[in-house]
Amino acid sequence: MTLLQKVVDGLIRLSTAFGAAALVLVALNILTDVIGRLFGAPLAGAQDISQMLMVLIVFGGMALCDRHGGHVSMDVFEPWFPKRMNAWLDAISALIGAVIFAGIAWTVYESSKLSLMLNLATNIIQLPKAYFQWALSAFAALTAVSMLLRSIRLALAPADEAPEHTEEVL
Amino acid sequence: MSPELTGALGLVALVILLVLRVPVAFSMFAVGFVGVWSLGSLSSATSLLASETFTLSSSAELVVVPLFILMGNIATVTGLSRKLYDAAYAIVGQVRGGLASATVVGCGGFAALCGSSVASALTMGKVSLAEMERFSYSPRLSTGSVAAGGTLGILIPPSTGFVVYAILTQQSIGRLFLAGVLPGILLSLLFILLITIVCTFRPSMGPAGPSTTMSEKVGALVGALPIILIILITIGGIYGGIFSPVEAAAVGAALVILSGLISRTLSLGDFWIAVRDSVTTTATVMLILIAAHLLNPFLALSHIPQLVGDFLTGLDVGPYGVLALILLCYIVLGCFLEGFAMLVLTMPIFFPVITQLGFDPIWFGVLVVLSLEMGLISPPVGVNCFIVKSVAPNVKLSDVFVGVLPFWAMMVVALVLLIMFPQIALFLPDSMIG
Repeated sequence: MTLLQKVVDGLIRLSTAFGAAALVLVALNILTDVIGRLFGAPLAGAQDISQMLMVLIVFGGMALCDRHGGHVSMDVFEPWFPKRMNAWLDAISALIGAVIFAGIAWTVYESSKLSLMLNLATNIIQLPKAYFQWALSAFAALTAVSMLLRSIRLALAPADEAPEHTEEVL
Repeated sequence: MSPELTGALGLVALVILLVLRVPVAFSMFAVGFVGVWSLGSLSSATSLLASETFTLSSSAELVVVPLFILMGNIATVTGLSRKLYDAAYAIVGQVRGGLASATVVGCGGFAALCGSSVASALTMGKVSLAEMERFSYSPRLSTGSVAAGGTLGILIPPSTGFVVYAILTQQSIGRLFLAGVLPGILLSLLFILLITIVCTFRPSMGPAGPSTTMSEKVGALVGALPIILIILITIGGIYGGIFSPVEAAAVGAALVILSGLISRTLSLGDFWIAVRDSVTTTATVMLILIAAHLLNPFLALSHIPQLVGDFLTGLDVGPYGVLALILLCYIVLGCFLEGFAMLVLTMPIFFPVITQLGFDPIWFGVLVVLSLEMGLISPPVGVNCFIVKSVAPNVKLSDVFVGVLPFWAMMVVALVLLIMFPQIALFLPDSMIG
């Protein structure tokens, strides 16, 4: 379990690095396009590149987002529930999340087979969509495994786990 | 089982999951998926899950989200908020309540760099609360001005709230950004008016700060010049039709990074933290959006929005009565639900009613975002109040909530003014985009 957790932690760091690199690349890509346009030479396919990199940004950071307790939840009733119940609710939430992300990984992977068969690609520079669907599937699967491990950990030691914070986005 | 009954059971299940603290996105995924499965088929539910996930994740319009979040995060780590506050302080700090007014101005300025209310309240709170304490400001006034001023983050563009509303209702992000400018300025002025009135009648609540010399004023303004320029270039670029919102976000992020590098306030470690936090916050926002796109088809299949629409339009209260009821719902829900979640949960139900009644969707977007702002300072889940409390541990939470009450009342005034004069919101988008 500890070894598996270490492997997962390493993979989460890697996926976050992918997401972060994609974000920097998107900024550079659009900036190059804007500056190029000023000189009458916009970057061909800039929008295609941004769209596909966006997939890496969204799902690259998903596992770390969960690890940091970043998913918004309604905590108004938390003080009313016993500590043990809160710990179990956290474990069940993580399990539900694991099932959802496993579902995303599987359905998007299945969809990528169709994209590959039909040669689906972006409009301008024909980036194959299947590659990015694979990346999405892999990141979603990693998130699912991470959430499953958290769920097991919480279920095994429910009373000792402190509730995780909720991140606010607005 | 009829689709309507299935829909009602789905909504009950959603509420139960939310009460049991299952994250909003997961609850919506679960109910949406099972709902589409029960009213359609398993294959339609799995197809929807795959297609909506990839389509939303690769949306060209939504690239604006991580870029504006990055811009705000870099602005935070490089201390740009401090310079904004210093400039506002130099101008209005020496009048009664001036520090609180400077906080509101600073929050408004920071809001133009960052689409997050929480980030605005947190960063400006760190800068201004200590100063106000030093000059013996009433804790209620100081914390109230920070918590309320921070909410300007989701009204003044760039705003995450507007981006989410635009995606959910298929409206133009650019038009919504434009529509938020004048209401944002109006609300800032109302806050300042309130502070001035309070400090005129009770001077002890906000004594005047020390006066600054002209050279100090000029120095503070010069210090804030890069930020003002960045705001003018990015937001002005959208208004001038030079940039799309996505391009403005990329240019803004690059300029903030450049400013940090030139002023040597941005280290590699800070940069990594800002980028990493931007990626994880984007994940939070996007997952809820994807989940909303799974829940919406279920609600449509169950005819729930149509039923609610028929009920509301059937009430003998007129269109503005229905609008008032909907806004009242937002204000009440804002006391219990996180604003962003409230937006995605209610929009599929209320938006068709609004369009059916013939109201302008851009104007309604501004009203909704203003209502979300009120939720950010409404007890018991007024997030901005908790944020301010975390920055000012010596102030009682009850004082923070009492302190925001007059500001909350000013938001009601702004809401009424916007309903009476829709042009406050629509003038800029109508005149600049058409």
